[in-house]
Amino acid sequence: MPNMFTLVLQIAVVLAVCRLVGTIFLKIQQPRVVGEMFAGIMLGPSLLGWLAPQFSTYLFPASSLGFLSALSQVGVIVFMFLVGLGINPKELKSHGHAAVLTSHVSITAPFVLASFLAIYLYPRLSDDSVPFTSFALFMGAAMSITAFPVLARILTERNLLQSRLGTVAIACAAVDDVTGWCILAYIVLLIRSKGTGNPIWLTVGGLIAFALIMIYGVQRLLRRFESTYRNRGQLSDNAMALMILLALASALCTEWLGIHLLFGSFLMGAIMPKEQKFVRYVLDRFEAIVVTLLLPLFFAFTGLRTNIGLVKGPEMWMYCGVIILVATLGKLGGSMVAAWWTGMPAREAAGLGTLMNTRGLMELVILNIGLDIKVISPTLFSMMVLMALTTTFMTSPLLQAICPDQMLRTPVDAEPEKFAGVELGLNPAGD
Amino acid sequence: MTHSNRNFVFAYVLLVALPLFGLAGVLRSGRKLSAPISVGGLWKINANQDQLAGLLCGKFLLAQNAAFTISQSGRAFTLNLPNSAWSATSGAIEGNTINATLIPSVVAAKDPGCAEHSLSLTAIVDPKASPRSLQGTLRLQNCPGCAAVEFRGIRDEQAKTKETH
Repeated sequence: MPNMFTLVLQIAVVLAVCRLVGTIFLKIQQPRVVGEMFAGIMLGPSLLGWLAPQFSTYLFPASSLGFLSALSQVGVIVFMFLVGLGINPKELKSHGHAAVLTSHVSITAPFVLASFLAIYLYPRLSDDSVPFTSFALFMGAAMSITAFPVLARILTERNLLQSRLGTVAIACAAVDDVTGWCILAYIVLLIRSKGTGNPIWLTVGGLIAFALIMIYGVQRLLRRFESTYRNRGQLSDNAMALMILLALASALCTEWLGIHLLFGSFLMGAIMPKEQKFVRYVLDRFEAIVVTLLLPLFFAFTGLRTNIGLVKGPEMWMYCGVIILVATLGKLGGSMVAAWWTGMPAREAAGLGTLMNTRGLMELVILNIGLDIKVISPTLFSMMVLMALTTTFMTSPLLQAICPDQMLRTPVDAEPEKFAGVELGLNPAGD
Repeated sequence: MTHSNRNFVFAYVLLVALPLFGLAGVLRSGRKLSAPISVGGLWKINANQDQLAGLLCGKFLLAQNAAFTISQSGRAFTLNLPNSAWSATSGAIEGNTINATLIPSVVAAKDPGCAEHSLSLTAIVDPKASPRSLQGTLRLQNCPGCAAVEFRGIRDEQAKTKETH
């Protein structure tokens, strides 16, 4: 049984610190979620444990972390369902070749650069229990992810959601996330299949069968949610509970099949109906509890696992710097080059690259999985968390510096001859 | 094929397909790389109790139910003892050998003579053993007359697997 006093105290402190730091970050033109991520790190051994180790041990005794972890995981399961719900890869079609090319390059460029970096880091920060292939693929997946929800939050807060830049970024991020999660599922499968002793083909076969059932069977049933919403203008509490039950059941299936709970909830969200009002309605119903209560617990739990003190000495900080540089070069640079190649003006392409470089919360989710399956060490985990914080933090100021406001707010249907048609080849106008 | 589509295919091959070939090359060549030996996890230690009892500060090692955990990052690791007599310490891996220096914590330092001595741990890991095992010595530093204590350790692979899943 958890010590309820400790658990409630932890939740109260985490909520208070997250709200406070989130509010401060709002004042410096950063999304609240970035502040909450920082708050989580502050509550861990990197700051609180360093400044006041006794208080830290009192507040977060090792025996209590299992309960905090369980609560935060439930939050992330529901959150991944919402992420899947918000993603609509079909949006890519409306942006033609430009978005397809940009999204694919924004995955391959950081992925390939990360795998090159893995050659350097593997002998230095890994050990022989981790095969190089798993290490390199994980680094690639972790660096190629874009934080779809944080990106959406940044675009919403800056009123850019309906802009040309915003819609392309959202479409590309959706593809990035789906691809990133598929790659991650493969890596988890590779590593876990060794532990269970089950042949990998059995797990893969099971997963393919599960995905087909979900897409061609369950998805049809899910349309009833949308039709009910359309007829009544709302969904009953029973319908909402059923939705959560389905997400949990799907999560349990993927866990049972040998990958991770989160893939199941993400898949359930991804196959939900995508009618905009319906999606907004469901997000509104869930977001309050998930975003306000459960995600801060996840940030705190991640912070408790992050020990920046492990990154000590010039050599380690150099590795950390190289990781941030490669991640930025691959994601920002790759997306920018691809967008520019497809005819987007250079400054706007740089803005798109900056947006795609936002990793935020999704990166933390992936990194926690990597640490759980021991494909990355605690030190590398801390470095990657720093990378996630840096790349997310830099998004807003960099975007402000690169793109003037009127360019950012170009509506989606403006200048169709320049972009929507997506003439490929180098744009002679350059910028 | 239209001019636009031709350009798209060209750009796609250049920016997506070619890098993927590069990725395949990296994954292939990377298999030849070797990483430091894995020592992370919970180690159950079996030491000569008589030797330990005779060792200055040895009673603090006896009190800890003979186990320690290692958190590894490449060639560096942090060694944690389950009691508070010795502080968590960092160490290094050279080939199959691990080296660490244990510093007495406030509790152990109160014992006469303990405060001035740190304890050096050296062990050789057997990479072929399953479960992984090690064999080493504990030696008090700055104490030429003190005899070294030999110990053996076996990694608790179940605990490692449980942590993984």
